[in-house]
Amino acid sequence: MEQTATSKSTKILEEVGVQMSFMGGFFRNIFRSGFEWNELIRQCYIIGYKSFGLVAITGFILGFVMTLQSIPTMKEFGAVSFVPSMVSISVIREIGPVIISLICAGKIASSIGAELGSMKVTEQIDAMDVSGANPMQYLVVTRIIACTFMIPILCVMADALAVCGGYFGSNISSDVSATLYFNKAFHSVEFSDMVPSVIKSVFFGFAIGFVGSYKGYNSNGGTESVGVAANSAVVNASLWIILLDAVAVQLTSLFVYN
Amino acid sequence: MTNTDTEIEEKLEEEVPGNEKGAIVVHIEHLKKSFGTKEVLKDITFDLKQGENLVVLGKSGTGKSVAIKCLIGMLTQDEGVCEVFGKEVKDLKETELKELRQKIGFLFQSGALYDSMTVRDNLAFPLTRVLHMTDTAEIDKLIEEMLDNVGLKDAIDKMPSDLSGGMRKRIGLARTLIMKPKIMLYDEPTTGLDPITSKEISELMLTMQKKYKISSIIITHDIACARITSDRMVIMKEGVITAEGTFDELESSKDEFVRAFFK
Ligand SMILES: Nc1ncnc2c1ncn2[C@@H]1O[C@H](COP(=O)(O)OP(=O)(O)OP(=O)(O)O)[C@@H](O)[C@H]1O
Ligand SMILES: [Mg+2]
Repeated sequence: MEQTATSKSTKILEEVGVQMSFMGGFFRNIFRSGFEWNELIRQCYIIGYKSFGLVAITGFILGFVMTLQSIPTMKEFGAVSFVPSMVSISVIREIGPVIISLICAGKIASSIGAELGSMKVTEQIDAMDVSGANPMQYLVVTRIIACTFMIPILCVMADALAVCGGYFGSNISSDVSATLYFNKAFHSVEFSDMVPSVIKSVFFGFAIGFVGSYKGYNSNGGTESVGVAANSAVVNASLWIILLDAVAVQLTSLFVYN
Repeated sequence: MTNTDTEIEEKLEEEVPGNEKGAIVVHIEHLKKSFGTKEVLKDITFDLKQGENLVVLGKSGTGKSVAIKCLIGMLTQDEGVCEVFGKEVKDLKETELKELRQKIGFLFQSGALYDSMTVRDNLAFPLTRVLHMTDTAEIDKLIEEMLDNVGLKDAIDKMPSDLSGGMRKRIGLARTLIMKPKIMLYDEPTTGLDPITSKEISELMLTMQKKYKISSIIITHDIACARITSDRMVIMKEGVITAEGTFDELESSKDEFVRAFFK
């Protein structure tokens, strides 16, 4: 019994060690000569542009649903006029980045995990390594950086669409003019709401790219390990997003909103 | 003889120490490697001489792939000597290992073509990433020459998924040879192919070896491939080399295990 406990903790420590050295490898390879600009742009296109539809729909519906849900409650308190500010603040500060990052964890981390996993299993990564090329630089650095850049952009766009969705929602249930709605929505949002949320989503993006690449790059075994890599990439990336969010909330309430 | 051929020869003469025929380029002695408690390689000793084709024969799972992965620094041995061009592989620094890897070609069991790139980009990849070539005209010329060598000039703009198994092996071979390696390591080059395609690939390997004066280690279970390509053969059994000799010598061996391969 005792032995399994120690071997388990050794395994966990080993895993942490491997992850750390993977991260070290990532940072070292960013600054190596021969940065893969073309591949970075290709990855930004795949990760950012190709996720835009999904993210846009999610963002829009998020604002729409939140508004419809909160109007009846707010009506009881006679506070319907606060709905636009409530929606825009909660979406921009918290819900937007988290939900969009979770959606992207499902879409992007899994596809990176599966892609790199299958490259590993079919020995393509080994072939790159053995030919003297640098697979870390070509495959991993580009993907992680692309995620770190694109997720914040997607989050900001989703936030904007969520506010539009909110207008749609209030327009359906009551007659609000666009000017009034957007005035109210934007009046209560400040620059200091945007900054922490964007910084947060940068970390979410990094987590998505890092976990996806790590799981794929280090998968081993047969074809089923590709599925395992994709799956654990999504689970771990989502977990990291939630954990990072908890930390971020603490930090922002300490430094920004007090 | 074309211009590039002479260039390669000159390069060979300059760079390889003891380039004269018969010099030892790969030296493996008492190599041991275990994974956990599993002893895969127990005692492997063999040499590869300049310009020679050495075939390694052995049952599945005896550690043939592990042995050549030690040669290229993908795995590190637990004990023993593993020298390439007179240098111990596990003691090389990262840059030295990278230099060594440029001189060694490794053809993977599956061909290992990069799925997301066309055949052209697959072949261009090592040229631009490793040799840092920038002249597109020159790159294209090299690619076309290599594809011509393996007889697949038409496939240049195809994706790997559109190719058959035999074609993938050929493209894999072309991608490795485009780096003009001095040593080729073939991991089961003919496995999973029909006898006719196997024979074509074996003959192609032989032609390329002659043309570019490559020394090669060929891992295989395919006795027809061994007959065509081998100058010398070693037989591996449970992590130990049990027999060594030319194809004819081993074919007439008295040993049960050795004979079993030739049936
Ligand atoms: N990275 C590794 N980690 C753990 N075990 C490994 C590793 N690589 C190989 N092995 C084990 O070493 C043994 C020999 O594997 P190897 O791939 O060298 O066999 P092989 O002789 O090439 O067989 P085949 O002809 O089927 O390719 C196998 O039992 C395998 O499980
Ligand atoms: Mg093998």
